[in-house]
Amino acid sequence: MGEAMQPTRDVRATLPDLVDVLLNKGVYLDLDLIITVADIPLIGVNLKATIAGMETMLEYGMMKNWDERTRAWLRDSVSRQVPLRGGEEVIAKMAGGHYWQDPDGSFETWRPGSIYLTTHRIIAFRRDPEEILWQANLYDIAQVVLQTESSIGGEKRSRLLVEKHDGGTALLSAAQPNRLRDLVLKAQSGTVEIEASAGGPSTRGQAERGGKGDDPDTLLFEGDVWYQEQRSGSPIWRGGTAKYDSDEGFSWKAALDRRPAIRLKATEMTAVRAENGHTPVGNSSILILESETGTYRLASDRVEQWAQLLHGVSQQKREDDDDAESQ
Amino acid sequence: MTEPADDGMPTETGKPAEDKKPGENRKPTEPGLYVYAVVPSTLSPDVLGTGINDAPLKLIAVAEGLAAVVHHHDAAPFDGADADVERWILEHGGVVERSWEAAGTVLPMSFNVIVAAGDGSTAEQRLAGWLGESAAELTERLKALQGRVELRIEISLDQHAAAEDSCEAADLREEMVQRPPGVQRLLQKRLDKTEREIAERLADGLYPEYRRRLAALSEDLTENRRAHRPPGTVSVLTVAVLAHRDDVEKIGLELTSIGEEQPAAQIRFLGPWPPYSFADVPELGAG
Repeated sequence: MGEAMQPTRDVRATLPDLVDVLLNKGVYLDLDLIITVADIPLIGVNLKATIAGMETMLEYGMMKNWDERTRAWLRDSVSRQVPLRGGEEVIAKMAGGHYWQDPDGSFETWRPGSIYLTTHRIIAFRRDPEEILWQANLYDIAQVVLQTESSIGGEKRSRLLVEKHDGGTALLSAAQPNRLRDLVLKAQSGTVEIEASAGGPSTRGQAERGGKGDDPDTLLFEGDVWYQEQRSGSPIWRGGTAKYDSDEGFSWKAALDRRPAIRLKATEMTAVRAENGHTPVGNSSILILESETGTYRLASDRVEQWAQLLHGVSQQKREDDDDAESQ
Repeated sequence: MTEPADDGMPTETGKPAEDKKPGENRKPTEPGLYVYAVVPSTLSPDVLGTGINDAPLKLIAVAEGLAAVVHHHDAAPFDGADADVERWILEHGGVVERSWEAAGTVLPMSFNVIVAAGDGSTAEQRLAGWLGESAAELTERLKALQGRVELRIEISLDQHAAAEDSCEAADLREEMVQRPPGVQRLLQKRLDKTEREIAERLADGLYPEYRRRLAALSEDLTENRRAHRPPGTVSVLTVAVLAHRDDVEKIGLELTSIGEEQPAAQIRFLGPWPPYSFADVPELGAG
């Protein structure tokens, strides 16, 4: 083996990366402290946004009195996270979640994320792994009803029941449910006036994310799965999406990763089993996949289904191969 | 920027009126503090040098053992031509770098974070208040980053080299030679696409292994979305890794091996940097 490669600190080589990192990373500073003029936070105008900057602006809600440059900056920041449509602008954003139910009613859970109210839609969006948890067009919404329910601790909480004209409903949680409902009403009645602006937002996101696209004929199973990645310190659980495709095999990918971090054809899986252990989903079952390249530890609320499926296909493949050889 | 209303009252769509205390007057000219980084308060101010546009720097320290590196900032945030912004960013980075080298750990702020006076307190009081309240989380993160460096690694594939052994690409190249120029251009496009597809497939196959090898030597690792990939190449992985200073050599050796194993690989290796990509303290985030 040759000499160890040396990292470079040469400014000519690193400048774009340094600019990128100093505009996008850094420790989070309490939003209330940031400088404001007439209630408009004045950070990074014309510069790429820090997340903190964006959220400050969104916290103030309405953009009616903001100038075009500020709104363009905000749009650009938001569209890095949530894919916006042409001409769509964000009115408010707050922490929240969507109550998800399996279509057959067998499983239900709150999925946390952020609620975005835009001039076009309500979106429940999760940043990591990146996913639109739920969304509805404002014109499809018949009404938004506040519902009070008791949480496990006995404390009362308001939820938002969104009823659509087509009879569909969704239950959302939000940091400020009353305010969100009022803003939805205003947005629907057009009281939120946002002048049309030149140039739509950049809508990176879905097209770029989708990549090759899944073939519905061969994609057999898909779901949220955690993968335990080995690090030099302690291993960490990473959230992502696992797929089993009859042509491509098993894969696991985190939303922000460029490519899947696990790819295994059915024939490459030498063992599939479930083991007890602690996982981020709280249950005690870990799915273990073994192959010649390594051992993979995965967690999901559907470990049993994954284990059955993968065990089945890996066995089947080996038998097929044996048959082929013996003929 | 929109002018504030004369009476100072919020407009209908502004901040809710109940949040505004009577008599409160926020002038844009109240002195603010531009923040570069959070450091242990043991850091000596002598090592800091000067900040953006030669601004004199100072430390705002609190009893909990933390300090913020700042300069007094009375004007609006920095805003200007790209070349100026670039220079300011480098100057900001310089302050973070010197703080980091002297203290061995640092939590960098991103560019243009300015703390304002307000709610009857000066910017200094508000910043000190925040440091004090967040001291436990910030101190823990500073400790975790002690002796750690950020490295940036980009591995990409030269698409010609990646498709060197492909029959499909070889056939296209051969066919091209015998064709008239118009057809050659079409074939060149097809060849380009074919090579890129081959390189993409190869990259898909290499990514899990490269990621696993680098993750095993890193304490943390985050994917960078923006790659500075030259044309004619396909990116395999673009990451920032957090590693112990002593492990930089091991990571360098791993990259040397990758370069030797894969002739189509092009490797960019930057650093060591202050842990810019790993400074965030999620525990401090708003709910």
